[in-house]
Order: sequence, then C-alpha cells, then structure tokens
Amino acid sequence: MKKPSTAYDGGFDEIQRRFAQMLEDGRHIFDAAANALVGGTDPEVIRKDLFATDRRINSTEQEIRRMIVINGTVHGAQNFPSLLVTMSVAKDAERIGDYAKNIFDLAADRARLGKDEHPRLVSLKDRISKLLVRARYLYEQEDEQAARELLGECDKLEDECDEGMRRALAADHNASADALAYRYFKRVVSHTANVATALVMPLDMLDFFDEDDD
Amino acid sequence: MEHPPSLLAPQVHPPPGPSRIELALRTVLLFVLLFGFLVSIETMSKAIKALADTGMLGGGDENELFAGVGNPFAGLALGVLFTVLVQSSSTTTATIVAVVGSGALSVEHAVPMILGANIGTTVTNTIVSIGHIGRTSDFRRAFAAATVHDFFNLMAVAVMLPLELMTGFLSKTASYLASFLAGGSGSAYKSPVKKCIKLIHKEILSLLEAAGLDGKALGVAALVLGIALTFACLYFITRNMRRVIAGRIEAAMNKALGASGFVPLFIGIGLTIAVQSSSITTSLLVPVCAAGVMSLGRAFPIMLGANIGTTVTALLASMAQERPEALTIALVHLLFNSIGVAAVYPFPTLRRLPIRMARTLAILATRSRWWVVAYVFGTFVFLPLLGWFAWRGA
Repeated sequence: MKKPSTAYDGGFDEIQRRFAQMLEDGRHIFDAAANALVGGTDPEVIRKDLFATDRRINSTEQEIRRMIVINGTVHGAQNFPSLLVTMSVAKDAERIGDYAKNIFDLAADRARLGKDEHPRLVSLKDRISKLLVRARYLYEQEDEQAARELLGECDKLEDECDEGMRRALAADHNASADALAYRYFKRVVSHTANVATALVMPLDMLDFFDEDDD
Repeated sequence: MEHPPSLLAPQVHPPPGPSRIELALRTVLLFVLLFGFLVSIETMSKAIKALADTGMLGGGDENELFAGVGNPFAGLALGVLFTVLVQSSSTTTATIVAVVGSGALSVEHAVPMILGANIGTTVTNTIVSIGHIGRTSDFRRAFAAATVHDFFNLMAVAVMLPLELMTGFLSKTASYLASFLAGGSGSAYKSPVKKCIKLIHKEILSLLEAAGLDGKALGVAALVLGIALTFACLYFITRNMRRVIAGRIEAAMNKALGASGFVPLFIGIGLTIAVQSSSITTSLLVPVCAAGVMSLGRAFPIMLGANIGTTVTALLASMAQERPEALTIALVHLLFNSIGVAAVYPFPTLRRLPIRMARTLAILATRSRWWVVAYVFGTFVFLPLLGWFAWRGA
C-alpha cells in the first residue's frame, strides 16, 4: 500500500523511519539476548553491542518525542491522532529493548533452563524474532491484513508463554529461570502486538487488543 | 480472538499535505498576493498624499498629522501600539513605508516607529506562552522563550534609539545605501513592477469614483482600502506559505535542535522570509520550548534571525514607492535588526543577557501571575498608550 507522494509529509515520514529503526534495533537486541540465553552465545561477547543498541533505542525514542512536538506545533491538530499513536508505539519499541536486557541479564547470571523447556524456548525465540521483522514491515507498509494476522499469532505465542510459565511454576524443581524467560518472551510479544494494534484498532483501544470482555 | 475492522487505520499516517497541483496553484496565489500587497502600499501612499494635498492632514503642511511623532518616544510608542493592535509588525512597517513614500512623514520621524514595531510584534508569542499557564514548568519555559525576544528588542532599542537620535547613524547609512541602490543620489527609485501597480491602482480609484466618491471621501476610502488590503494580503501570504512550506518548517526546526553557530540564525531568517511573519516563527518556538524540546539558548538565535527576516516585508513595500525615502526607511529596519544581531550574537556575555533576564522574569511569573499581568500590561498597553497621549497632546 504505497502512500501518496506529497511535498508536505516529510517530517512524519522521518518520524516513521526512526521508529522503523527502533523496531530493527529491537529485533537485533532481542536476537542477541535470546541467543545468549538459549543459543549458547557468550554473554560477555555481546554485552557491549547489546547495551549500545539499547542506548540507541532510548535515544531514538527521545528523538521521536522531540520530532512529535515539532510536528504537532507546525501542523497543528490535523496530525494529532497519528502523533499520539507514534508516541504510544515508540514506547512499546523501547520496552522491547528493556525486556531484551532482562533476558540478557538472565543469560549473564548463568540462569539454568530446564532440559524440556530449552527446545521450546529456542522455537519461541525464532518465531518472536520473525515476528519483530514482520512488525516493522507491516508498520512501514500500513498493511492492516498483515497486522491482523500478526495479532493472531501474537495471541498464540502469548498462550504458549503462559503455558510455559504455568509449567515452570508447577514444576517440582527450581524452574524460576524458565518462568522468567517465558515471562520476558511474552512481554516482547505483547509489545510487538501493541505495534500492530496501531494499524487495526481505534486510538483508545491501543494496547488493549487482548483484553477479554469478562 | 477476533479483531474488529479498522476504524482509525489512517491514524498511523497523517492526512496528506498539498498535492503538486495545489502547490502550483498556491505558488501562483503567492505572486498574486505579493502583487496585491504592492498595489495596497501604492493605494495607501497615494491616498495619504492626496489627503495631504487637500489639507485634510493639517493645513497644507504634510507633516502636521504626524507632528506628535517628532517626539521619538511618541513615535516609538505608536509603532508598538499599531503593531499590538494589528498583531503584525509586517503590516506596521509596510504602512510606515507607504506613509514615508507619500512624503507625509520624514525618515527621521519614522525611525522610532519602525523600532516600536519590533517591540510590538513580540506580543503575539507572549500571548501564545500564556496558553501554557496551566503547567508551571511548561509555562516557565514558554514565558522565558516568549520574553527573551522582547528583552532583546527592548535592549536594542534602548541602545540604538538614543544613538540614532544623537548621530542619525541608522538613517544616514540607510540613506546612503538607498541612493546607492537607487542608482545615484537624488534619482527616483524605479522598480520593474511599478507600471503594473500604477495601472491597477488607477483601476481601483476609478471603481471608487464610480461608486460616487470624490475629494476627501475618495482619499479616506482609498486609505482605508489600502490598509485593509495590506493587512489581508500579508495575512493570506502567511497562511498560504505556512501551508506550502509546513514540511520545510518542520525539517528546519528539527535541524535547529542539533544546529550550532550561525545555522539557527539563518534558519530564523529563512523561515521568516518564507512566511513573511516573524510572529509565526517565534510563536512556533514557544510550544517547542515549553515542552523542553528546545532550549532557550538554541531558540534565541532563531528569534534573532526572525528579526532580520521580517525586514523583507518593508523592503518589498518600498518597491511600490517612487520616493527613495521609502527604501531608506525599509533599510533602516534592516540595518537596525542586522546591527542589533551583529552586536549581540557573536559575544556570549551579551548573548546571555536577554536570556538571563527572560529566565528571571519567567521564574517570577511562575511565583506570581501578577508579574505576567504587569509585564504584558506595562510593555504592550501602558507604554503604547503613553505614546498615544503624547501624540494626541502634540
């Protein structure tokens, strides 16, 4: 879905470009952290790059906020909903970085994952990584259909994470590392889903797409 | 779960701006409005000349109506008052150029009025800053951003007006430059668009005459029409250009966030020339500063640039005038603002002075709202009214 070319929307396009970079950095930091936890990468090898990526995500979010203020000041109320959405999803992208750091901390603290859970977490990691790539793509393209499909997959992945957490909590051995890993993976999925909700949900429903009516 | 159909999908991207066709049409509109602006200056100037010739401005002495502005304080205050009332220094300076161009006002007496327009124009962003009064920290930053421009202009006037009165350095330099630009001292200044302007002006007069007006009534009607047309043309030029270059304004402001040295100054000049309004440039900075996105130190040079950029309006207005004095007073405006910036901006100690004053006033304003009332009333109401009474008294 190609946006019409105008001489006017350069500023918002730049905000979108920065946000897409945040999502790309989010995927990178998640991959690095999750590989350290479940893939055997030495945490110390990636530590510097991981924290640099997190700082970049944070500074990009601050840049986006500044650009949002300027865009709103110059263009007035007509861009207001778009700017609020961007403010919200940029926060989600920043949180992905934060949870990736939590995952990294688990790896750096030499957390021991259960033998049964390890392959499940590897599979989850791979699917979440792909999810982050798709989230960036569909946001750039404003592809509503792809956003709905992604939200459906997020539901399933979150259910898997919940199931994994329940298993870890009910385990007769210490499975706190598994529980935390599932918890952090789920949060990454949730924040990725929030990005997709921006395309298919009204402004007031952002972040609430998975709330049940009961 | 099932996801509902999108209600606000386009919210991800804002509504598109002007299309290429709209841009082309708006460019044409800009030239039409600029031409209309020059016609309005001609209409105003000729109307004042005609009224002076009929003795309506005071017994055949062309300067009698403006006798009061022989008092520089009255002239300064009138400049502030007129600008506060029309909320546009461009309209004020263009009007002054027209009056000087008609011969009804000398350059010497017009200088304080031009300087007053500089002070009066800052009322707009001060009003914008009051919109942030609900949040103390935002208001402190907004009010400082609004008043730093005031303090700079007040300082510049406090230093340069007495110097001008003692030496005439502004008017003499401007006069020299005007004679140089006009192609030799004493020769009438000729612009390439004058013939067309005169033609349209004659048509306007014919229309007014056809409506049954003649003599003094015709002069008064032409004067009122000229002022209204000037105001309308500048208003629509600003609106039109703001729409056309909104994206560029945004890009320039984003650039200014990380710019240093003279770049913000040139950004201020460029933006103001483009939108033909220093108030627009400075008022855009107030919310950005209020949010803390731009520091006062970074916004200040943009405001200084706006001071220089806004002088283009008077220069444009002088294009419609035959008397070189019209160009001279327009150049006085340019020189005053350029010298003011050149004397302050390169020197950190001087540069920090209006910033400190603005910050101090903003802190006081957050402690007690009476400071806001006293400042706004004193600068933009009491001072101009004093001048008004001085003028009426004369």
